[in-house]
Amino acid sequence: MFKTFLALSLFIACIGGAGAAESEREPFDDRYCTTCHGTEGRGNEGVQAPRLAGMEPWYLRRQLENFRGDIRGVHPEDREGIAMRPMATKLTDESIDDIIEWIFGWEYIPAEVTIKDGDPSRGRGLYGGCAVCHGANAEGNESLGAPALAGQNDWYLVTQLKNFLAGYRGAHPNDTYGAQMRTMVSTLRNEAGILNVVSYINTLSR
Amino acid sequence: MSKQVTRREFLNLLSAAGGTAAALKAGSALGLLPHTAQAASMDLLAADPAKRKVAILGAGLSGLTVAYELSKVGYECTILESSHRPGGRIFTVRHGDLIDEIGNRQYCEFDDEPHMYFNAGAARIPSTHRNILGYCKELNIDLEIFINENKTSYVQDPALLGGKPIRNIDYTTHTRGFMAELLAKSLSAGEMDQPFTDSEAETLMSLIRSFGNLTEDNLYKGSFRAGYAAGGFLEHGVQKDIIAFRDLLKTQMGRQLLDANEGDTGPILFQAAGGMDKIIEGFTNHVGQQIRYRSMVKAVEVKDAGVDISYEQDGAEQLLQADYCFNCIPSHLMTGITNNFPSQYTEALKYIRRGTAYKAAFQAKERFWEKEDIYGGISWMNNPSSQIWYPTAGMHKQKGILLGAYDYGNGELHTAMTHEQRIEAHLTDGEKIHPNYRNQVEKPITIAWHRMNHMLGCSARWQRDRSGWSHEEEDLYHALQQPINGRHYMIGDQVSMHSAWQESAVMSAQWAMADLNQRLRA
Repeated sequence: MFKTFLALSLFIACIGGAGAAESEREPFDDRYCTTCHGTEGRGNEGVQAPRLAGMEPWYLRRQLENFRGDIRGVHPEDREGIAMRPMATKLTDESIDDIIEWIFGWEYIPAEVTIKDGDPSRGRGLYGGCAVCHGANAEGNESLGAPALAGQNDWYLVTQLKNFLAGYRGAHPNDTYGAQMRTMVSTLRNEAGILNVVSYINTLSR
Repeated sequence: MSKQVTRREFLNLLSAAGGTAAALKAGSALGLLPHTAQAASMDLLAADPAKRKVAILGAGLSGLTVAYELSKVGYECTILESSHRPGGRIFTVRHGDLIDEIGNRQYCEFDDEPHMYFNAGAARIPSTHRNILGYCKELNIDLEIFINENKTSYVQDPALLGGKPIRNIDYTTHTRGFMAELLAKSLSAGEMDQPFTDSEAETLMSLIRSFGNLTEDNLYKGSFRAGYAAGGFLEHGVQKDIIAFRDLLKTQMGRQLLDANEGDTGPILFQAAGGMDKIIEGFTNHVGQQIRYRSMVKAVEVKDAGVDISYEQDGAEQLLQADYCFNCIPSHLMTGITNNFPSQYTEALKYIRRGTAYKAAFQAKERFWEKEDIYGGISWMNNPSSQIWYPTAGMHKQKGILLGAYDYGNGELHTAMTHEQRIEAHLTDGEKIHPNYRNQVEKPITIAWHRMNHMLGCSARWQRDRSGWSHEEEDLYHALQQPINGRHYMIGDQVSMHSAWQESAVMSAQWAMADLNQRLRA
C-alpha cells in the first residue's frame, strides 16, 4: 500500500537524477496529503482543505483524476481547487491507488458543525432534490455517482455549492457529474439557500 | 483632582525610591526603555527534576530558541519536526537541496561553492533586532552587512520614460531636488502652518536646500549627487541631464524606493555570512540531537499536569508525554491537528491568515551587474517579479545567485503558475532591466511559501485592515499568547505583532519562557 508507493517514488527519484551526488540528496517525501487535510484527513478549516477520511474510494478517484486531468481546479475563481490541482498533476495511476488505500485506513469521524447562520427547517425542504441522488440521510449513492455529504466539513460544502452555482466548478465539458450538480444546485438560488441546505445536512448522520 | 504623573516623572520617582534597578525594570515594562539583548540573560530557574520534560513542536527559530535556553537550565527537550530539515522559514538553498513545494518539488542545481546560496526565507537582520543579534553573538555566528538600498541599482516602470530603466540615484536625487524646490517656495511664501522664529526658518531653509541640493536662489538645477555624465576625476565633471519632475511623477514606485531605506529595512542590516541558516546551525550545534525529523504531530492534548502529543514517525504512531509544550506549528496547520484547546484559542488560530510570499532565484553565469557598478542591493520593477536582488556575498567572483522575483504581499499570482511559467515570467520581467538577462542566468529555483510542505504559508497575517489592529484582533492575539493550563504555549513570529522577522520568533519564545518562569517562581 502506501509503503509501496513511497518505495516506488524513492526509486524513481534515484534513477531520475543525474550525477554522482544524487544519492546524497534528500529523498522525496510523498506523505503530504495530511499537511493540508489534517490529522488522518479530518479536514482543516485553516487552509480550507476538506475531510478525506470517510470519502468513498470511487469519489476520491474521480476527483483526483479530475484535478490531474485539468477538469477541476482550473477556474481562476476556484481558489481552493487551484490550490489542490498542482498536488494531483504529478500523480500516477499507481500512486492514486495507493493514496486511496491509505485514506481508506483512516477512521471516519463526523466533522464539527461550524455554520450557525442557516435555517435547517428551510433547508430540509430544499434538500428533497438533493436526496434523490445523495440519499435521505446524505449517505451517498455510488450507483448514481453521488458522494456522502453527512459528516463532511460544512464550510467545504458551502464553498463547493457556491462554486457550482457560480460555474467555478462543474463547467468543464468532461465533468459529467459536475454538470449534473450545476443543474441541481440552481434550485438553491443563492447563499441563503446554500446555508439553509447545509445546516440541514448538518443534522443528518450516516 | 490630583495631577496626573507622566510615565517619565513616575520613573524618576521610582528611581529615587527603589534605585536604578527598579526604574530599569519598570521602564522596560512601560515600554520606555529598550530591552537589552536577552540571549545571555534569560535568568531561568533550574528545572524541577520531577517536571523537566519539554515537548517542542517545530524546529523553527522559536522552537530552537526554547530548546537552547531550557536545555541550559536542565530541561529535557524533545523537538518534533515534520519536515526533513530544521529552520522553518529560515531556509538557505544550496547545491543539491530539496525545495519541498507540494506539486513543484525541485532540487537546487546551483554550483557547489560557499557563496552560491539563496536565502529563500529570512534574509535581513536589522541592527535594532537585538535579541536575534544577541544569539548570533552568543553562538559565534559570523555576520556581514546586508546591502538593501543601492543607489546604482535600477528602477524600471513602463510608465516612466517609456520603460527605460534609470538608476535609483537619478530618481532619488532629482525627486529630492524638485521636492525641496517646492518646499523652499512654500516657506518663502510664508505658507507654512507652523510659525517659526527667524532663526528656525533660516535653519529650515538651509535644511531644505541641503536636502535637494538647491542653488542659492532655491532652484533645483541638477546635482552631481547623481554622478557624472563624464569626467569628475582627472577632468571637470559633466553633470547628467535632469529628468523632468513631471516624468518622475509618472511612476508610483517612489514609495518603494524611499521606503527601502527606512524602518526595518533601513541601514544597518546584517546577514549571516554564508547563509542565514548558519544561525540555525548555531542552535543545532547545541540542540540538534534533540530533533526528531519527519515526525508529524497528529494530536495535542493539554492535561492538568502536562501535555500529551501523538505523532507519526516512519509510519509508526508515537506518544510523547511532556510536562510543558512549546508549539510553533503554523496556526493554519494547527487547526487541522486534533487538539483540546479552549475555544478562544481555536478562534485565534483560525483567525490568522497565512502569508503568500513568493521568491525566485537564478544562478548568474557571470556577475554582469558588477560591470554596471552594481554591488549588492535591489533593482525595483513595476511588474509582478518586482525585485532583483544582487548578492552581497562573493563580490568579484565569477558567478553569483540573483534573487529574480520577490512578491511579499501578493505571491499568489506566481504561486498559481507552473514552475515553467514562473521562470518565463521572471525572465521576461528581468529583461526589462538587463536586456541580455535570459542568456546570463540559469538553474532557476522558485519558492511559493503558500505551498511549501509542512508550512503552507509565509508569515502570519493578523490584521484584516492595514490601518491597524482591531480590538477583536488584539484580544485574540493576547488569548493565543497566554498558556493553556500553564502547560502549553503557542510561539513563533505568528504570536507577535510584527511577524516575518526572526526577532519576533525569538522574542515570542523568550516571552513564553519568561512567563513559565514567573509561574514557577510564584
